[in-house]
Amino acid sequence: MNSCTKCGNTHIIIKRKHSGQSLCKECFLESINEKVLKNTRKYNLIEKGDKVLMALSGGKDSVVALNILNSLKERNIINLTALTIDEGIKGYREEGIKIAIENARKLGVEHKIVSFKEYLGISLDDMMAKNDQVRHACTYCGVFRRWILNRVAQEEEATKIATGHNLDDETQSILMNYLEGNINNLVRIGPKTEAPDRRFTIKIKPLREIPEKEVGLYAVAADLKVHLASCPYAGASFRWEIGSFIKELSINHPTIMYSTLRGFEKIKTALKKEVTIKGNLGVCKRCGEPAADDLCKACTFLKDWDVK
Amino acid sequence: MKIKVIIGEENLNQEIPEGCTVQDLLKKMEIPSETVVVKKNEFIIIEEELIQEGDTIEIIKVIYGG
Repeated sequence: MNSCTKCGNTHIIIKRKHSGQSLCKECFLESINEKVLKNTRKYNLIEKGDKVLMALSGGKDSVVALNILNSLKERNIINLTALTIDEGIKGYREEGIKIAIENARKLGVEHKIVSFKEYLGISLDDMMAKNDQVRHACTYCGVFRRWILNRVAQEEEATKIATGHNLDDETQSILMNYLEGNINNLVRIGPKTEAPDRRFTIKIKPLREIPEKEVGLYAVAADLKVHLASCPYAGASFRWEIGSFIKELSINHPTIMYSTLRGFEKIKTALKKEVTIKGNLGVCKRCGEPAADDLCKACTFLKDWDVK
Repeated sequence: MKIKVIIGEENLNQEIPEGCTVQDLLKKMEIPSETVVVKKNEFIIIEEELIQEGDTIEIIKVIYGG
């Protein structure tokens, strides 16, 4: 007979293959809340008085992270604002924004919605319609979203930017950078960015040790309204290939994502000594944001569309 | 035996053999179990749960590729 390892309830909703634990709904939700808050303390992700800007797409990861961080807001430990970025993806983003608004309103969290059009002068759909570049939409979208996130964080005087990255995202990033030989980016992976420049707001990943499937289970079990849909630009990217490979491996090797993360953490310290991280960045001549070269990555891309 | 399966907006009537588990159903429908959360008669269940005649199974896709 299956029963909850913690309370004995016979209605279990998860059997964790990596730990052997079986949990009922209440104990599962509590275990995720506890783990996220424990890691927040362990990695010093948040300090009392922080103004946290939560990147809220309306998807399961950001909605779950917002709900857990809200418990810190309710205890007056942090000040919490949600930020939704409208990339301008017709037929997809509208629903995510609607759900983001509902979640922020339900929790009483201040919510800001900004768009690519407003900050960059062009929507992602228009970029891709005029695009004769070889890059995938996700490459542009990722760079521009990070640029806007940082810009808004500075405008709002936020001390931290929180994102919904989960364990699957993190192990994918580790493997991708390793396999591509991108060691400079590899050593930057972690629960909290060590910004090389004060004009970059520190980013934190509260869900970094929660498997993606468990984030989804949390959203369903807690009856959260989340945007469950696939972006029309999503396709067979390298990240997708790596993600599918790790998920497949996890079926017979359920601890593989945790061991990838732990193994990486052990070698990261030694790797960092060998790899120089650029400090003292200059200023982008186009937008004034920190940049390693004359132009930041976002402005290098934006030149292609001759906007702003 | 007959069961009802809900996936997103779709409502399907499925015929499955006696002793079929959620895991068997997902395999039959070629749905990777690591990408979904499954409810039986509105309650979340684990993959090894047995399905019975007349059950309503809701398959909620929580992981999207790309």
